[in-house]
Amino acid sequence: MTKNNIITCIVGLSLVSGLFSCDDQLDLRPISQETTENAYSTGTQLEAALTGVYESFQSNDYYVWDKIIFQDVRSDNYYAGGDNPEIFEFDAVDVSTTNSRVFNAWSSIYNAISKANLVIERAPQIQEGITENQREEYIGQALFLRAYHYYNLVKNWGGVPLILETIKSTDPSEVRIPRNSAEEVYAQIITDLNDAELLLPDTYGNDASINKARATKGAANALLAKVHAQKPNPDFEAVLSHANAVINSPAGYELLDDYDQLFDGNNYNNKESILEIQYLGSDEGTWGPQMHLPPSISGDTWRKFVTPSKDLVEAYEEEGDEVRKNATILFEAVPWIDEYWGNEINTEVPFAYKWRNASGWASADNDYILRLADIILMKAEALNELGQLDAAAAEVNSIRERVDLPELTAEDMQNKEALRQAILKERRLELAQEANRWDDLVRYDLMVQIMNNVDDVDLRNNQPVDYNVSETDALLPIPQNEINRNPQLEQNPGY
Amino acid sequence: MKINMIFWGLCLFCAGFMQAQTQTITGTVIDGSNNLPLPGANVVVKGTNNGTQTDFNGYFSFEADPNSTLVVSFIGFITEEVELNGKTAVEVTLNEDSQSLDQVVVVGYGSQQRRDITGSISTVDEEALDDRPNTQVGALIQGKAAGVQVISGSGKPSSGFSLRIRGTNSINASSEPLYVVDGVPTTDTRSLNPSDIQDITVLKDASSAAIYGAQGANGVVLITTKKGKSGKPQLNFDTYIGVSQVWNTLPVLNSEQYRDLMTELGRNTDWSRYTENTDWQNVIFENGLSSNYQLSISGKTEGTTYYLSGGYTKQEGAVRSSEMERYNFKVNLSQQVNDWLEVGTNLTYTQYSDVDVADNTSVNSGGVLLGVLSTPPNIGIYNEDGTFTSNPFQDWENPVASTDGSQRQYVNRRLLGNLYAEFTLLEGLKFKTNFGTDYSSATNDYFLDPFRTSYGRAMNGIGTYQTNLSNYYILDNTLTYKTELGKHEIEALAGSVYQKYKWENSFLERRNFASAEITTPNAGSELIAATADKAEKSNASFLARVNYDFDDKYLLTANFRADGSSNFGPENRWGYFPSFSLGWRISQENFMDTASIINDLKLRAGWGLVGNDQIGNYAYFGRVGSGGNYPIGGVVMPGTYPASIANENLKWEESEQMNVGLDLSLVKNRIQFTADAYIKNTRDLLLNAPLPRSTGFDNAIQNIGQLRNKGLEFQLSTINTTGEFSWQSDLNISFNRNEVVDIVGQEIFAGGIAGRGEVSLVREGEALGSFYGYVWGGVDPETGMAFYIDQNGESTFEPSADDRRIIGDANPDFFYGFTNTFSYKDFGLTVFLQGSQGNDIFNATRIETEAMIDSKNQSAAVLDRWREPGDITNIPRAESGNTDNSRLSTRFVEDGSYLRMKALTFSYNLPQSLTERLQLTRMKLYATGENLFTITDYSGFDPEVNAFGASNTAVGVDYGTYPQTRNLILGLNLTF
Repeated sequence: MTKNNIITCIVGLSLVSGLFSCDDQLDLRPISQETTENAYSTGTQLEAALTGVYESFQSNDYYVWDKIIFQDVRSDNYYAGGDNPEIFEFDAVDVSTTNSRVFNAWSSIYNAISKANLVIERAPQIQEGITENQREEYIGQALFLRAYHYYNLVKNWGGVPLILETIKSTDPSEVRIPRNSAEEVYAQIITDLNDAELLLPDTYGNDASINKARATKGAANALLAKVHAQKPNPDFEAVLSHANAVINSPAGYELLDDYDQLFDGNNYNNKESILEIQYLGSDEGTWGPQMHLPPSISGDTWRKFVTPSKDLVEAYEEEGDEVRKNATILFEAVPWIDEYWGNEINTEVPFAYKWRNASGWASADNDYILRLADIILMKAEALNELGQLDAAAAEVNSIRERVDLPELTAEDMQNKEALRQAILKERRLELAQEANRWDDLVRYDLMVQIMNNVDDVDLRNNQPVDYNVSETDALLPIPQNEINRNPQLEQNPGY
Repeated sequence: MKINMIFWGLCLFCAGFMQAQTQTITGTVIDGSNNLPLPGANVVVKGTNNGTQTDFNGYFSFEADPNSTLVVSFIGFITEEVELNGKTAVEVTLNEDSQSLDQVVVVGYGSQQRRDITGSISTVDEEALDDRPNTQVGALIQGKAAGVQVISGSGKPSSGFSLRIRGTNSINASSEPLYVVDGVPTTDTRSLNPSDIQDITVLKDASSAAIYGAQGANGVVLITTKKGKSGKPQLNFDTYIGVSQVWNTLPVLNSEQYRDLMTELGRNTDWSRYTENTDWQNVIFENGLSSNYQLSISGKTEGTTYYLSGGYTKQEGAVRSSEMERYNFKVNLSQQVNDWLEVGTNLTYTQYSDVDVADNTSVNSGGVLLGVLSTPPNIGIYNEDGTFTSNPFQDWENPVASTDGSQRQYVNRRLLGNLYAEFTLLEGLKFKTNFGTDYSSATNDYFLDPFRTSYGRAMNGIGTYQTNLSNYYILDNTLTYKTELGKHEIEALAGSVYQKYKWENSFLERRNFASAEITTPNAGSELIAATADKAEKSNASFLARVNYDFDDKYLLTANFRADGSSNFGPENRWGYFPSFSLGWRISQENFMDTASIINDLKLRAGWGLVGNDQIGNYAYFGRVGSGGNYPIGGVVMPGTYPASIANENLKWEESEQMNVGLDLSLVKNRIQFTADAYIKNTRDLLLNAPLPRSTGFDNAIQNIGQLRNKGLEFQLSTINTTGEFSWQSDLNISFNRNEVVDIVGQEIFAGGIAGRGEVSLVREGEALGSFYGYVWGGVDPETGMAFYIDQNGESTFEPSADDRRIIGDANPDFFYGFTNTFSYKDFGLTVFLQGSQGNDIFNATRIETEAMIDSKNQSAAVLDRWREPGDITNIPRAESGNTDNSRLSTRFVEDGSYLRMKALTFSYNLPQSLTERLQLTRMKLYATGENLFTITDYSGFDPEVNAFGASNTAVGVDYGTYPQTRNLILGLNLTF
């Protein structure tokens, strides 16, 4: 080859490679991710998107654990324990607008809603690998989940922006959506649940670990019962009918005979359960239990969170409710001090005990979202409100019976108000640590009265704790961080 | 008087003339930078044409008058005049003239003589790199180039540097410059070996950086490694040993004071169990030893130049357990094959490893630096059973648990280099094809044993193994043509570039170990994670450049580059980036007096557009992530989730830059002055604009907004004295003003401080790096509670969110570097001062150490806390769990200005008589101290802090940052 030939070859090759470096080489598609164009074409992909909605129960701190802070610690059931100033704010019912747990909860619940919206939107378009039955079930589950998430939003913050479609534009005018009223949000929740109730099956076969993992007709009715009671103008007829639909469901919900079995870790997805957050341990485990469990179980020596309050322990003791007390609370001497239980180390301090296995931050303990005892008590509440006191008391007694407590006294049933108190107390003892207490206090319109009457003494200075609660504390502040992003949002009064 | 002068002058002239007799004058010319012979130097008798050149060994011999004066010169060196005074044998040392106008400066895809440059360029040469710890390139650039701000996030050996050339150009896209090592673009500079570097050129303005188009928006740092220079093979051995220390300690409460504070907070315990008085700063801060060995051989034979080197550097940190270790090998080779072909390669293989320590986080999260401050002195290091002790009230383990509790190491094996061939097609027409690669394979090992730490016990031990493979290649082809037509000189360049990146990552984690004997994950029984993913990116470009020079007076450079990026969709994939610059060498004009003291005066002006696509791979797609799995029916079902919002319209972020500059050279080039003024407008910012979370998303990448940087830079270099005692000075000072012009009314928060919210705010009209918070009022003498000043100027204990305002700015008014180099005979002294003025630091470390809300130990400042009504103090009361007294406020904003002795080097070259006896060409001993003193009002460990690393928005926050250390090294250079 001559010099010129060689050079011609090389320049020629280079020019070719230069041409290569054009658009084709720049058209790269993600290797390890799908895109919105190819992620929702088949039935199995739609199911994966739906699974992604359920996954919010595991990945959102709010559903894993913080709901206990929002409901049980904020109320009279538990103290904050631990060392986190932001959780102390909940305990003191003095939540600041910049509390990051409030923002995280808001954000992650809305994230779950956006995933549910996606399933609802995409499901009708999918042609491949899907039966009509499956399509209905997927849409029904997504509707249920969306309703459940909005229910959590509306009870924490009141009226919130109602967003029922996936985001199409990032234009500020499209995304800066003002708050809807609480009534509008409840109306949407009820619409979604009614639709879901029609689409969902009673069961998905005989496998309880599927039937309690996926939303069912029973779950929709159970949530409808709670929602109709919690909304600004409760509809107790509806509460009653939906509670009855659960109780009489072909799915065969029944109370477990032994209360402790609900929480011993060996009987999840039981007949009393309507819907549970599922955990398997390891990488499908929950870190929540490790936050609660005492040194003897967790192996930790640090101060644990969510400490049962004196008020709660006294409530069990006054009632003589040994069964539920022992299933809910465990006492243990600890190498730290507790400002309410003991100002010296090695004091016996109570622990939240409804989860029993820490398993190195990766517990397989499930978490009840809806269970029958709750719905039976909702039925009792509805009956009482509708003036059927005897029937109401019978429902309460069915709950008391299994924990070896006597039936309600004549005094308890002397009038509607007395029975309300009895039902509220029963709910507290039955459902402590299950993220119901704050809602119950608000629904009974007793939050201010009860919280301001709690008599806790801070042993560090021997001063009584004044929670100084007012009506506006019923709702949490709209997170400041969200207001920064969406100036259309109006802050709740009192913040 | 005047007549007398002339008369005596005439007499002297005549006397000289009459005495003129010639003899053979011999001598050698030495290169002062390395004490090696300098071949090819010109030696002439002053005022005559009589002269010669030095030979291969720097030797010369010619006939001249022994009473004449010799003028010895060489391109790139300062010309020396030697009066013979009757001597016939002389030795002349020439010192390199870094300021020479003839100096050849590497620019993108070529090189230019300094006199011809029309853009804004700074260079850092080998000398600035000499005699400094051989750790990181970034450290060596700091303070040496105007307009280049080197931000060291942390003083730990494993920490990289962040460079800001003329301010921060973007909010979410990367603001780091492009590094190009011998023509191969790269991003990771941690594993580069500074002692292989010949020089560094920083391209600062659009007209110089535009040839790098899309990657040039943040400036370009061109790194050129050493080549063989002299014919005689030269063997170099460099070594040093050193020590680094934390130069500052902070006073904290002692055991008794801690106990008092805890009692005040209502916390009691059995104090008889906590009777130690441990000084945690003493336990954690230690003398970090370092050592460095570098061996190189280089040379030049006919047609071949070569440079081979191998080396080892190890640096232990000043914080327990941190360390860095690097092995490096390098081959630079070029061969002139024949009259039309040259081939060559520059290849580096590096094995870099480090052990990191966790900083910039609180003790609760294992932060070592905050652990040092907030762990009470009352506990020892170990319990009796060998486990680590914890805070008496909490399971916050002492900082040794964090440094020693786990075994961890990052190792990166990296091949960086290129192969090229250059063809001379015709006279002046060259074609060059270049293939470069940057291939790195990194592994990260971590093992937490199942016994000693509480987390380890809870998990029964953790073993993880992570790999990150990064495979990059670049193929570029360029055609250059250079010609001279009378007074017209034209150089043109055209080419194409294709670049491809591919990343592959894997991670696996197992838990539940039976013992601490096996530290790899295989010994754990429980599989927690096992995953792998891949990603790619590609860029294609076409480029062109014309340099035109008329009569050495009028200079023009024009660039054009078209860039395509796979990060953008088909609609907006290509961006087009032109630039122009003009230079006018006024000193060449006839009206300039040739006898003037002005040697060179050049005005420069440039305009250009550059682009930025550094926003993340596949940015325009609506991506759907996997791993949203959930167990249904006892089986883990695969789940997906929307990970980003599609934006088909996403396009290049553009930076329009204007620059005017002046180069002035006076008094035989002994004074050189450069001034530049610039404005940079970055438009269509690639912004991760925050969305209301009610959308389900945190943010979406959009092209919105505008950012402006404008500034002034000055560089003054002077040769104050030459000869036996030489003294050179170099001063640079930079002013930059940054402003967020437009982000469509949004406000972006950044810089989260645990439990207090976010302290940095991006807001229109303010600079990036602004602090946002409350205005501190003081401490109420009655209650001991802090009060703040609300928006109406009134004091309040409970300020609302609306009372927050801009409370500080992390950007300096100016920053500067000042280097003085002295040499006397065989001794050398370099004094390098560096500083920053007018920048605020948000000292969030003090929030951890002065808040008094929990059982953390606190700084000695809290001894002045409020204790009873009537106390007048600035430190509020201790109150458990209440953060009202320690909100993000002006209380924690401090002046971060500093001036520090960045480096002081004292060196000694052994006299030739001695080196010859040792059969050495040269032997140099030196001692260098870094950060020997620092003048600052800042109260933290060190004013060079940045808890959020390379973040564009959260800047100047101190949150338990590993401080810059004081380093001392003793070194030896040998040349054979």
